[in-house]
Amino acid sequence: MTAVLRVEDLTKVYRVGQVETPALQGVSLEIAQGEFTALAGPSGSGKSTLLHLMGGLDKPSGGEVWLEGERIDLLSRTQLADLRLWNLGFVFQAYNLIPVLTALENAAFVLELRGKPRAEREALALKALQDLGMQDLASRRPNQLSGGQQQRVAVARALAAQPKIILADEPTANLDSKNGLALIEHMRTLNHTQGVTFVFSTHDPRLLERVDRIVRLQDGQIAA
Amino acid sequence: MFSLFSLSWRNIWRHRLRSLITLGAVGLAVFFTLFFLSFLRAMENSMYNNLTASVGHLQVRVADYRDKREFRDLLIPQAARVEARLAALTGAERVVTLEIPALLAGETRSRGVLLIGNQQPEGLRQRFAQQFLAEGELPRDGDLEGIALGASLARALEVELGQPVYVFAPGTEGRGAGVYRLVGLLHFPDAGLERRAAFISLAAAQELAAPGSATRIELHFPFTRFEQDAQLTPIIAQLRAGLEPGLSLESWRETDPALAQLFDLMAPMMLIFAAIFFGLSGLLVVNSIYLGLLERTRELGVIVALGAGPGRMTRMVVTESLVLCVSGALLGLALGLLTVAGLAGGFSLDQLYGGLGGEFGLPQVIYLSLSTGDTIVTLIFALVTGLLAAWWPARVAARLEPVEAMRFTA
Repeated sequence: MTAVLRVEDLTKVYRVGQVETPALQGVSLEIAQGEFTALAGPSGSGKSTLLHLMGGLDKPSGGEVWLEGERIDLLSRTQLADLRLWNLGFVFQAYNLIPVLTALENAAFVLELRGKPRAEREALALKALQDLGMQDLASRRPNQLSGGQQQRVAVARALAAQPKIILADEPTANLDSKNGLALIEHMRTLNHTQGVTFVFSTHDPRLLERVDRIVRLQDGQIAA
Repeated sequence: MFSLFSLSWRNIWRHRLRSLITLGAVGLAVFFTLFFLSFLRAMENSMYNNLTASVGHLQVRVADYRDKREFRDLLIPQAARVEARLAALTGAERVVTLEIPALLAGETRSRGVLLIGNQQPEGLRQRFAQQFLAEGELPRDGDLEGIALGASLARALEVELGQPVYVFAPGTEGRGAGVYRLVGLLHFPDAGLERRAAFISLAAAQELAAPGSATRIELHFPFTRFEQDAQLTPIIAQLRAGLEPGLSLESWRETDPALAQLFDLMAPMMLIFAAIFFGLSGLLVVNSIYLGLLERTRELGVIVALGAGPGRMTRMVVTESLVLCVSGALLGLALGLLTVAGLAGGFSLDQLYGGLGGEFGLPQVIYLSLSTGDTIVTLIFALVTGLLAAWWPARVAARLEPVEAMRFTA
């Protein structure tokens, strides 16, 4: 299978004053098209950092990040923003919806950033909400939704834009067991039906049972 | 479905009270600026009308008249012919004046004055009478017997209406002396002027001191607003080209340079006041937008992470600031226009500046008026405030690092 995402000898060191804390140390990894991959490991193992670097949300201290044959760690702030907008979808741990927008508007947010016409973005966002069983709550604001519902809207926001890859940072961390499982099933279905590549960071064993591949991290390195 | 505008609008109202205070501050800045502009415009127009009514928009005199001391050197000979030529060139109303240094006497007392003989169009004559005539009437054109005096001068001469006033103008080219009957008493806000004001008709003045001559010919144009004054420039050039040798033409600016300077100060003064109003309200806008930004740092981090570039973030912040400022400006505009419309019928400021206003040509009654240009300038100020207030917060937003911003806790 072709690698859509590849990192080589990736390192990330956080500096606070004189203190340096290595978060990643020489990580190399390839993600194939259509893979449903989990980055697993304990807290502080570097899962989120790796995910951020793969998504162009942060710059590595060393090494390379390649997305579909393009080296992205050298891109400017504006180029990275464009790359994220047109190629990647993100789901964050804390839902991170925009509170003044409805579920439908949140789901359509990336499409709005892309400048899609209103009717088109509305249709795509509604379809994404429908796929996640959220169509009846489309007009609700985030504060009128439960945690599970909010996270599904966040997934719908990532899906509506039909990205090649969705990067999800501990998507089930704040959900109860029932909602967490439902969300995993939804994402798995989308992976099968639409061929979307998913990369998660997680230490949720329920999620790990359902993935194609588990990449285990320990102290900023891929564990053997 | 939302747009950048509606997102900004909703974001603004997350903190209702703070946004209302900021919006109100911008509204007040617009309101005060509009009120202040309309007030200054009203003062400007009234002062312009008062000044040009008393000295004319333009004056023809003998060249270098300020350097001449002898009465005869100040005379424009054949004034009627010069007046007719000016009439043909401009079509403006003319006031022909002959000023004579003279000694006025009652039965027991005398005073030295600059006796003014003039001939003016009926409209200006009536306006002068309305403003300054306290009792009786003004001498009519061609009246060879009537004289009107400042009330203080009449008291000093101990003469009353109907009594004779003796006039001596030695060393002039006319009869040099005459007896007139006091027909009118004048009251001027300027006490000094009231002590030396004496008016007769032009015909009487010419008969007394200089047959056929005048010391100045004023041209009065139908300009009622100061902004129309710029129309004088080509007229001045045309008239100067057609003027007889030995005569000079000057505008009211040269006749009264002190007031002209005051007029020149008004526009910068307006801009300075407007800048102060908007500067202060701009600080509140910066505060409001920046605090909003700080409180939403995590959310903005998510927006950047989702793919909003620096340009988009800048536009978002600028739109919020503009929406806030424009909303405030519309509120202030409505209040300002209503107030100006309400006070357009005129209100008196006499109590504010007592009797002093008249001495400086200030109007007794203010009629607020607002031009479209002033309204547009005020709204531009509000827009510029919105843009400037957004500059720094927009810079901060455009430089947000998504991961750091999403970890941010206020």
